[in-house]
Amino acid sequence: MMNDDQLSQLLRTALPAADATAAPSRDLWPAVVRRSEARIEVSSADWSMAAIVAIVLVMFPEWILLLAYQL
Amino acid sequence: MPDGLDGELLERFVQGDQTAFESLFRQFETDVYRWILRIVRDRSAADDVLVEAFWRVYRGRACFDASRSFGAWMRRIATNAALDHLRTAQRHTGWRVADDTMPAAPRPDQAIKESIALAFRSLPPKLQIVATLALVEEQPYSEIADALDLPVGTIKSRVFRATRLLRKELARLGITP
Repeated sequence: MMNDDQLSQLLRTALPAADATAAPSRDLWPAVVRRSEARIEVSSADWSMAAIVAIVLVMFPEWILLLAYQL
Repeated sequence: MPDGLDGELLERFVQGDQTAFESLFRQFETDVYRWILRIVRDRSAADDVLVEAFWRVYRGRACFDASRSFGAWMRRIATNAALDHLRTAQRHTGWRVADDTMPAAPRPDQAIKESIALAFRSLPPKLQIVATLALVEEQPYSEIADALDLPVGTIKSRVFRATRLLRKELARLGITP
């Protein structure tokens, strides 16, 4: 079984550290402004899912821990 | 001000002044981008997460205490946005290694890298984010804890769980140092 140092070394070989001098590929301010001005739309599917989760949690409150773990 | 920022600028930002927001964006975008890139490890995704993070900052500006560090608050929000990206990415896509060359018939060492990266990406996102920052990027636990707004003990525990899962998965794949 490999130790922590060996594991870190293996990971750094496969996943090199990110470029410390990287910068955004373009000016992202216009995208931020567009995002800030966009209205939040919640689809009916999202509302349905939220309702189902709420009902399930009311029926099985012990599942809250399972849900919390997933989050 | 903790960041050396003008208090009046932060007050104007909290009140919704777009010019103040742009000024903060210009001052912090590069640092935030690099932090996000460390987590998501993909430039295109880092662009998207940066936009999302600044949007969340603007949306949550009323909750910001102008006497505290804007940079630390911004980093926490960016970290959460990056974590949400990891969750979505894990559901929809596979993982690609950082050098991004995908030959049709990978060399054995490249295949091993792919397997390691795949094992890494199979970790639950909340373990993956601490493992990336602690083991790959070698960030101090205190900094990771601050970015995730969690106690240092929780970070240590998550790194421990991540390494245990990774060792198990790599052993299953027959990968040894």
